[in-house]
Amino acid sequence: MKANHLVWIRRVSQAFFLILFIFLLVESRLPQDIYLDYSIALDAKQDIELDYPVKYFFQLDPLIWITSLISGHQWIKGFGWALGIVVLTVFFGRVFCSFICPLGTIHHMVSYIRPALKKQRMVSANQKHSSQRFKYFLLILFLMSALLGLNLTGLLDPISFFFRSLALAVFPGVGTGIKELLDLTAQSDIKILNYISYGGEVLVSPVFGYEYKAFKSAWFIGILFLFILFLNRIRPRFWCRTLCPLGALLGVFARFSILRLEKDPEKCTNCNLCLLSCQGAASPVPGQEWDASECMFCFNCFNSCPENAIFFKLGWPPHVSKKPDMGRRAVLGGLLAGLSFPLLGRLDGRLHHVSDARLIRPPGSLPEKDFLKLCQRCGLCMKVCPTNAINPALTEAGMAGFWTPNLIMTQGYCEYTCTLCSGVCPTGAIRKLSGKEKIESPIRIGSAYIDRGRCLPWSGNGPCIVCEEHCPTSPKAIYLREGKTLSPSGKAVNVKLPYVDLKNCVGCGICEYKCPVKGNPAIRVIAAGESRSVANQILLKL
Amino acid sequence: MNYHPITRRESIKKLLKISGGLALTGAMTWPFQKTISAWAGSTNKKFIVEGIGQNHEYSVKALAGKVFEAAGGIQKFVSKQDVVVIKPNISWARSPDLAATTNPEVLEAVVELCQEAGAKKIRIADHTIHDARRCFAITGAGMVAKKTGADLVYPRSSLMRNMKLQGHRLDVWPVFLPLVEADKVINLPVAKVHSLSGLTLGMKNWIGAVGGRRSALHQDIHLTIVDLAQFFNPTITLIDATRIMVSNGPSGGSPSDVAVSNRLILSDDPVAADAKASGLFNFRPRDIGFIRLGEKWGLGTTEFQKLRQHKVII
Repeated sequence: MKANHLVWIRRVSQAFFLILFIFLLVESRLPQDIYLDYSIALDAKQDIELDYPVKYFFQLDPLIWITSLISGHQWIKGFGWALGIVVLTVFFGRVFCSFICPLGTIHHMVSYIRPALKKQRMVSANQKHSSQRFKYFLLILFLMSALLGLNLTGLLDPISFFFRSLALAVFPGVGTGIKELLDLTAQSDIKILNYISYGGEVLVSPVFGYEYKAFKSAWFIGILFLFILFLNRIRPRFWCRTLCPLGALLGVFARFSILRLEKDPEKCTNCNLCLLSCQGAASPVPGQEWDASECMFCFNCFNSCPENAIFFKLGWPPHVSKKPDMGRRAVLGGLLAGLSFPLLGRLDGRLHHVSDARLIRPPGSLPEKDFLKLCQRCGLCMKVCPTNAINPALTEAGMAGFWTPNLIMTQGYCEYTCTLCSGVCPTGAIRKLSGKEKIESPIRIGSAYIDRGRCLPWSGNGPCIVCEEHCPTSPKAIYLREGKTLSPSGKAVNVKLPYVDLKNCVGCGICEYKCPVKGNPAIRVIAAGESRSVANQILLKL
Repeated sequence: MNYHPITRRESIKKLLKISGGLALTGAMTWPFQKTISAWAGSTNKKFIVEGIGQNHEYSVKALAGKVFEAAGGIQKFVSKQDVVVIKPNISWARSPDLAATTNPEVLEAVVELCQEAGAKKIRIADHTIHDARRCFAITGAGMVAKKTGADLVYPRSSLMRNMKLQGHRLDVWPVFLPLVEADKVINLPVAKVHSLSGLTLGMKNWIGAVGGRRSALHQDIHLTIVDLAQFFNPTITLIDATRIMVSNGPSGGSPSDVAVSNRLILSDDPVAADAKASGLFNFRPRDIGFIRLGEKWGLGTTEFQKLRQHKVII
């Protein structure tokens, strides 16, 4: 096959997978089909399910698969794809990096469309650099840490990183901008502008969401994303060469690749054109030893060589290429760091003593210890939540649980019959629930308590039954009792006073969300009472 | 002075005038006008129709048809080329059998009647409590929209507009626009119990027609309900009491909270409709605060003998 054809096949493949990734990301939301047949709803409770396999790219990711296997000791359904990628890598090297990986494609585009470096400076930037060992350090850190029960992979795994950045920062950011503009034109007195606004919303809302989306610490996720894009100006595909732990993992398998770069030093004129376009800094120049583990198989060098001095060839029988250049420091450092992180993560006592009252996990979450073994912090559950309640945790879950999902009830609440988040978790840190199981068990995510000092009826500031009205359980977990309170003028007034019945409360948080006391509501949900933890129960027997 | 019942359209025009500050005198006489018009003599007597489905296998659609027939036919309320907006209560993402929301069969029947009358556009609009897409799907409203071709309006911030309500309690409040930008408004609530207002019926349904800090409305629930009912002033109110929620309201959640009543109540007097429905729960109408206040402020009457009364049984 001609080199030029290979490069074009690569570009088509990159475009296809990038579009597929973004499409699945957009589809990670409540389905738009509101036309459910109510005759079905009358007979049996029908759960609303997503139309597309939105976790596909996670199931394609061998790093997520292997670390979950090491830490969770279980084969998670759907990860046959990841095994397939490993087999593919064994035969054909890191083709995942330049044919499939959507984050790789983004970096490739940024480096290719506006290269920061020209000619000789680009050639020297594409020379192999010792900093490329750093990704092996990260890989070993994540593997070791997973072995000790803390799965940090998702922080830097490219699929998780890209999904989280797009879903929690880029899309909500752009969406907010557009929505503010449309709201502005909707308020206009000019009729045509109103219609443009309504029409625009119909087009924009299915992609960016119907409300203003908000995620705590998303600004940081966004800045980090912009930062790694910026790094491409220092060296093309900086992330892929230096930071990507998945690239490191695939590099290890790439040694055995039967697709190899063959060189003919006699034809080489030392023009360095191959180096100029090399994506992986994998030493394509004849005279140097080719780094199979660094090569991303983009076929640029093959395509650019005017003398046909280098070419890719299927080598049979297989012979093992040069082993990945990790360096002893990266290995030892990785092991040591991987040993330290899980231990440091436990020092806050959240695992062994008491968890943070504000740490409310999505319904169906595993017990905290198992949860941290599997959660990839990818943001899929946060993206899919229709009320925007699930947020990336900043401090609530401690260092070990940074960016893991956490429900913030002032921002949204857990809808009683909704089970979307449990259906999308790629590793099963949130196990699959049916609406029936969620309600009938019931799955509790916490419990509500009333702050009488703030509560309007309790503090004598007037009637209010909003929490009781919205309570979704039957019988209601919030009940009212006639009572007397003193009004600010000192007069005794008869009002209905709200109480919480812990036996019925599931901690859904709609009471906190709807409470007229905003910001720090008069009724609040804390993690105590959550089904997933034996230690966190309140009542002796439920 | 011209003693005819003020239409919603006229009242909006008036409100706009008032808010423009053009006619200060208008503001002075407006409440009186309103009071008088509701009591306007026998020339244009209001009506109330109670439809009961006694036959075990009666069809809701047929009952709705008969009820409108008894009131003089849908053509009396909906003219050709009208834009009609229907305000069901689909606040909760609950399946129809739990009676937390308007029966989709009733909704479907009303949409089809409006289509028969030649309405140009029929919109279904509600500012839901739960996520609107989930409400549309689970309550069956989405299915009705698909089957009949009616528009289902998604509540969103761009469709909320601050308006002068000129109420006794509420002044300026964000209003869900489609519910005022229409020629005819049909209120289509479901009958339920409610812990603070006693019952959720027709007039209370208008809480679902506004935006803003709705949870604060409960601090003076009866008066705010009357303010909203006066502002939205529907062409007709059809209360869905095919099944009613008798406990754990207004959200319910269990079939044991539901009682079968097999009734539809239609009236062009919002107070009378609510008063009639309150009887199904064994309330005396004037024991419900917003019904008593509604009568006091001239929105309608609880004395059925002042109305043309009909009963339809199938």
